[in-house]
Amino acid sequence: MKNFESRWQRLVVAARQAPVADEGAAPYGFATRVAARAMNAGQPAVLAVFGRFSVRALYLACLLTLTGVAANYLAFAGTEDDEQNLIDPVSEVFTNASSG
Amino acid sequence: MADETFDLSACLERVRQHDQAAARELVEHLYPLVIRIVRSHLPRRVAEEDLAQDIFLKMFTRLDQYKGAVAFSHWVSRIAVTTCIDQLRAQKRRPEFRWADLSEKEAEVLDSVLTSDGEVAVNDALASRELVYKLLGQLKPEDRLVLQLLDLEQRSVAEISELTGWNPSLVKVRAFRARGKLKKLFEELERKERS
Repeated sequence: MKNFESRWQRLVVAARQAPVADEGAAPYGFATRVAARAMNAGQPAVLAVFGRFSVRALYLACLLTLTGVAANYLAFAGTEDDEQNLIDPVSEVFTNASSG
Repeated sequence: MADETFDLSACLERVRQHDQAAARELVEHLYPLVIRIVRSHLPRRVAEEDLAQDIFLKMFTRLDQYKGAVAFSHWVSRIAVTTCIDQLRAQKRRPEFRWADLSEKEAEVLDSVLTSDGEVAVNDALASRELVYKLLGQLKPEDRLVLQLLDLEQRSVAEISELTGWNPSLVKVRAFRARGKLKKLFEELERKERS
């Protein structure tokens, strides 16, 4: 390991002497592009909140519809009965003719 | 980072209020720091600009988590380092290290390191650095990172611990194991060189 350590250290010491590439400024347009993407990344969160509320609103609307249907079921059923109780003049004529 | 007049806290406050101009200023201010980390840990075939962009986007996403317990540059460095490690992890296969893939200069430097006890010539510094990166590229991302920070960047164990989130004992253990793997690689190269 000692031999390796000395070899590795010699190599690393030489590598450290290599000039570091110029870190300079960001390439043209880079900061603008990243900033725009970062700031727009917040929008899906707003949309997600909106979406979540939309789904809740849909659930509520379904619930209200079902409640409405259930509450008016008797009224619908009643209408059916009323229809059956309607006076049918044709059948009445036939009934009277056959009995008469 | 050299801009001493840059008011970081004011800029962060404006960024938190979704000020795009402030976000742009922050990116420009931090770019040299981020690109330095990206360049020293750049995974193969990943464009440095793409990786830098990922780091900045992560930084903006997590900005609410920054409570000021550490310097902001340090916090960003940590994001940059972990992003680079994630990228390296994504590249599961590491190409085999072959003498034939080295440039003439790199092969010369490696030969000199393996066969003689003399110092590597100063004008071989660039080739030495490329060679070090190629050798480190044979290691697992975590092993590569720990040796790069310890030996190339000469960071202390405490600094590495802060930067990576690994405890100091883990840093030492990883460094020890990484050196062991590198030693095996050296022995293998020496064998191949002789044959």
